[in-house]
Amino acid sequence: MNLQTTPMNHSIETENLSLWYGDFQALIDVNVKIPDGQITSLIGPSGCGKTTLLRCFNRVNERYGNVTTKGKIEVLGKNIYDPDVSLPELRKAVGMVFQRPNPLPISVYENVLFGLQIHSPMRSITRTESDQIVEEALTSVFLWDDLKDRLKVRATSLQLEQQQKLCIARLLPLKPKIILMDEPCSALDAKGTRAVEELMEVLAGTYTFLIVTHNMAQARRVSKECIFMFLGELIEHKETQALFEDPEHEKTADYVQMRYG
Amino acid sequence: MNSMTPRAERKQKIVLQSIAFIILGIVFVGLWHALKSARAPSGQVVSEAILLSALSSLFNNLYIVLSISLVAILFGIACAFYLEEWLPATNWIRRLIESLVAILTGIPSLAYGILAILIFFSYADTLKKAIEAFPLPENIGAIPSQIETTVFYAEALTFVLMVMPLTIKTTQEALRSVATPIREAAYVLGASQWQVLTRQVVPIAFTRILAGGCRSMSRAFAMAALLVGIYTWHYTTEPGGMSGRFILFLSVALFLSIFSSTLIWRHTSDSA
Repeated sequence: MNLQTTPMNHSIETENLSLWYGDFQALIDVNVKIPDGQITSLIGPSGCGKTTLLRCFNRVNERYGNVTTKGKIEVLGKNIYDPDVSLPELRKAVGMVFQRPNPLPISVYENVLFGLQIHSPMRSITRTESDQIVEEALTSVFLWDDLKDRLKVRATSLQLEQQQKLCIARLLPLKPKIILMDEPCSALDAKGTRAVEELMEVLAGTYTFLIVTHNMAQARRVSKECIFMFLGELIEHKETQALFEDPEHEKTADYVQMRYG
Repeated sequence: MNSMTPRAERKQKIVLQSIAFIILGIVFVGLWHALKSARAPSGQVVSEAILLSALSSLFNNLYIVLSISLVAILFGIACAFYLEEWLPATNWIRRLIESLVAILTGIPSLAYGILAILIFFSYADTLKKAIEAFPLPENIGAIPSQIETTVFYAEALTFVLMVMPLTIKTTQEALRSVATPIREAAYVLGASQWQVLTRQVVPIAFTRILAGGCRSMSRAFAMAALLVGIYTWHYTTEPGGMSGRFILFLSVALFLSIFSSTLIWRHTSDSA
């Protein structure tokens, strides 16, 4: 693992992270450091463990049962498997966006507030506060102008691009530090993809992004650092440009050139 | 998936629901008239007191079926929640209950009715002994004095056996209809399992659960129609006896069945 820029804070750090689904080992001794406040992309062929790695960081993997994790994961300087770590708090700090937009089947307004409502006691948010929170969140994902008159509309009836932006917007009221994205643009068309990428670039200073993508052009466009994984192992972690133009490992070169050669 | 527009569906829903209510209305009015013009076997006009007692025994029957199946449905729903939301799919208890449910829901309700009659007539003594170990509270209002506790227990057991599996099945299906992405969305925002259930899953699945409950109850009434019909075959001296009961129960079953079909409204169900 060659990080060219060393003096930097890291949001996520893993040490010898291994993970098994039953008998199948999906992650093998992964050591990774994700830098603060920028976009890092995870690439690799299907089934290489990208999504599994991503899902380790907010501990949603555990929901599937039959999962064994070994090693250490530090998120924001705290080992997330410490007994005193509360899952709601962890997931509040580490947001997640899925491959297919999955807004809850309630109104746009309630979608944005949902996260906040589950973390605060009943009726502790006043109407004016919530109005303001919704406006802020939707403004920061550039949806406010489109949706300000349609806040009561069911979120599932929006266009896919708007739905995906809304899924990002609903994380923001919780003030997360890290946003994990699992192929956030694969369900969107070119225009939608561009819109989401622009949004990520704007938000990148405030939040740390970790994005899984199959689209190498996208990895190149948006991310500052890039991680290549292969069969559960982390092969290479470099600045994006360097990884694409001057890959150190043969496997990385094969993968990168397969599409560009 | 469905080619109908929301408007056409709303129309259909209203028509079906009014048909359901009209059936129920006609039957109640018709029953009242039949009772009023009823004659005793001797040809004499029946006194008002006898009419009222006949009516009360009729509604007592209705009340018993309603209360027993309601309790069974509530238990079934609770059971389905536990199986579906708390036990992993590989758990042996869950697999056992699910295969039992699959077997029991495949049996037509008439078979349950015959089973109940078998218990009534063949094992009455054994049942009585068993019941003596678990006596009913003296003042339980649902049991009219002329019905023996044996009969009550036999009825109750049959209804539970019939209604619970169906409710478990329909409730589980309703819970499964809430797609995983919706649950995941709530989980990654930090919701606990209880919050995901109460704030997303139950509101979304509610009408489906209700429809399933109605359908189970409809089945209970359909079976009761057969059962009471057969059971009172020989006691037609009572005005509105056999046929009255049969028609009343069957119409309630029909009403619930039509009503439950209008509850699931494809355009508002958010499983996708």
